[in-house]
Amino acid sequence: MTSWSPLLALFLVIPLVGAVLTPVVSDSSGRRSWGWAVFIMSVTSAMSVSLIVRVLEEGPFSYVIGGWVAPYGIELRFDEFSASVAIVCLLGLLAIVFSRHYAPQALTPERIPYYYTLLLLNLTGMLGFIVTGDLFNLYVFTEILSLSAYALVAISGEKTAEMAAFKYLVMGAVSSLSILFGVGLLYALTGSLNMADVTSRLAGTAHAPLVMAFAALTLGFMVKAALFPLHIWLPDAHAIAPSPVSAVLSGLVVKIGILGMLRVYQMAYGSGAIDLSGLNLTLTWLGAISIVMGAFFAVFQDDIKMMLAYSTISNIGYIVMGLGLASSYSLIGASVHVFNHALIKATLFLGAGALIHQTGQRTLTGLAGIGRSMPFTTAAISIGAISIVGIPPTAGFLCKWYIALGALEAGEPIFAVALVFGALLIFIYYIRMVNAFYFRKPQDAGAPAVHEAPLTMLVPVLILAALCLIMGILGRLPLSFIEPAVTRLLTPLGGG
Amino acid sequence: MIEALWNNLDYAASVILFCIGLYAVITRNNLIKKFMGLNIMETAVFAFIVALGVVENGDAPIMGDGASAPFINPLPQALILTGIVVAVSTTALALSLVIRIWRQCGTIEADELREAE
Amino acid sequence: MKRAFTITLLIALALVLLNVMADLPPHGSAETPPYTHVGAYYLEHGPEETGSENVVTSVILNYRGFDTTGEVTVIVTALMAVIAVLTGTRDTSQEPDTAVTQIAPSVVVRFIVRVLAPFILVFAVYVILNGHITPGGGFQGGTMLGALIIALTLVLDERRSAKLIPQRSVRVIQVIAPLMFVAIGLFGLIAWGDYLFFPRSEELRPIVEIMLVLIEIGIGVGGAVVFARIFRLMAGRP
Repeated sequence: MTSWSPLLALFLVIPLVGAVLTPVVSDSSGRRSWGWAVFIMSVTSAMSVSLIVRVLEEGPFSYVIGGWVAPYGIELRFDEFSASVAIVCLLGLLAIVFSRHYAPQALTPERIPYYYTLLLLNLTGMLGFIVTGDLFNLYVFTEILSLSAYALVAISGEKTAEMAAFKYLVMGAVSSLSILFGVGLLYALTGSLNMADVTSRLAGTAHAPLVMAFAALTLGFMVKAALFPLHIWLPDAHAIAPSPVSAVLSGLVVKIGILGMLRVYQMAYGSGAIDLSGLNLTLTWLGAISIVMGAFFAVFQDDIKMMLAYSTISNIGYIVMGLGLASSYSLIGASVHVFNHALIKATLFLGAGALIHQTGQRTLTGLAGIGRSMPFTTAAISIGAISIVGIPPTAGFLCKWYIALGALEAGEPIFAVALVFGALLIFIYYIRMVNAFYFRKPQDAGAPAVHEAPLTMLVPVLILAALCLIMGILGRLPLSFIEPAVTRLLTPLGGG
Repeated sequence: MIEALWNNLDYAASVILFCIGLYAVITRNNLIKKFMGLNIMETAVFAFIVALGVVENGDAPIMGDGASAPFINPLPQALILTGIVVAVSTTALALSLVIRIWRQCGTIEADELREAE
Repeated sequence: MKRAFTITLLIALALVLLNVMADLPPHGSAETPPYTHVGAYYLEHGPEETGSENVVTSVILNYRGFDTTGEVTVIVTALMAVIAVLTGTRDTSQEPDTAVTQIAPSVVVRFIVRVLAPFILVFAVYVILNGHITPGGGFQGGTMLGALIIALTLVLDERRSAKLIPQRSVRVIQVIAPLMFVAIGLFGLIAWGDYLFFPRSEELRPIVEIMLVLIEIGIGVGGAVVFARIFRLMAGRP
């Protein structure tokens, strides 16, 4: 079964069909659409396991749809970076499970089936983005995931949500257009849309359009990743969206920008046709600024989700800085941080969602002392907080260590300093948070007792917190998994 | 450069159109006008991509009786068909959000909305 | 002030882009990479391999059919998004946009639309079904069909225009485009071992034609219903 090539196509088609059929199978209570969504996502996750096992055994593999030969048909390609489908499936499934009690409280009943539809479409778009080997297909899947993301931000119906969604939409649409323009330019230069084919044909093409193509692609993906100074859409959008949606947006959707950049890098380094040092320098600086600025703004937020949203900007800064340093260590650290930050941020957002759901409070002052009444949830959030600061043996430590090593390896120690400075700032605001949860007195002593969150909300949070610890203990394992892909990335075709 | 630009006049025209659209997105206050600017930008990119496929004295790529070589490249046309549908979809969602903002805030001017926030 | 700054920025951007455009392979020449590489293959082998004389259709449905599946998914996503944003609203400030019904179209408009409707319908169906022979296809015909339903919604009263989209099965019909596409793709997988595989031999040409036409119908009807539903939702009706 693992070697059956068309599995790649089915892997994308099944969540797609499941998503569009959700309103058809749903009933008036919304309960059935939840069950259907869980079922679809479980099947998809099972298929992803099979695909990842195959890439572990054989290395990268591909499948051309329709029985054609690439580049005449569309090629789906699964390499080590595509193993990130694991985190998409995992987070998607947990967010859907979490929504069982969360959605009826946050949304009107008529919207619930469409909530699950949009969530499944978002996940389908991301899965397609990760496994495609064709540039235009990449654009189409970007649009699927972006459109569903815009709608999911607005779905709660609040005034602020709709405005945040509109701002997100305009910036997202411009960035998608930039990506399309870049794809068009690459097509004009090489006559092909297949990534591997384009890589082999880029050498010797006109210089100005080549630079413009990569600039346009990078600009588009950096808006999607919310890199400074193109991050302004993120805080409102991620803070106002329903919490499971925030987990998916911060954990997965912004990483699409990073993965897009990785694919661009594969083409640029692989062809050897373009010198990316200027771009890398810019990305490294912007990443460093994002780290410090994101952490700095997070310190001053009282609303817990706003704080987490700024923290996302800061962590994206780490990853982009790792990409820009372009050394083996930093790229490995950055790639694994994509995975680890997704786990950590999802723990934090789902945990915060559980707190908000049970208490109705969103601010640190309002949530003071919650550690007593909701011990499990708060413990999970604390684990997430420790992970994101990067204290061993949690998930956040090793990747940041590798990025810092990469900075030293590339001969730019100032960026290692930025990394440590950012970590200190993060430390401050997470201490604030843990302090508020455990050591402050609750606001109204006479308020009705708050219970621990229901199981469908609690279990995903606990699973994620456990994974944060496990990923930290596993240590070098994921890093050595991604190493061949990074080595391949940095070596141009033909070894020149 | 002017010589080369004159040869690629279609591409140059799409650049001008793109900048006009971007100007509208940045400077117009009304949300719908911003979005129309985005549509102009999208049209400019589509025009650019289709123009990539044009061949001198080319015929439409429909084989059948009376068709003669050379034919125009069919691939860009397929690409922008998808692109147009994507642009329409984004516009539909944007306009729905504008409708909701209008109903809840009573205004769709960006500066008034920013003040109200 | 802001305007002057924007204009300077845009002029700079335009100059950069124009420089890029000047360096591209010359427009209209037959030596450009797009024309000599993949495009040439499609033109040369398209009709014989795919059974469709319209090479653009064979690119859309056959060679790059997965892109088109993604595209119909985008439009269905837009519909789901519009439904999620515009229906089930909580606030009481919601009144349906009665501008559509308050301004009654003139007698001339009503008459012309109602007289032309059957002809537009026939032409739309013709365009959908003949996408692989003449210019046209599912999207083109579907847009015409959708525009027809919108025009009729404007001139007919509420009771009759609501009947234009069947209410019971609308949840299935609105997603029929991706469903049909995937169904044909799975059929290719089960029958010949590859997803979205169209047999290339001469004898199986009628089957290929049926598969193509089914996809076109799915796209046409699905697209029309999506457009019509988005319009009606924006007008405040279910």
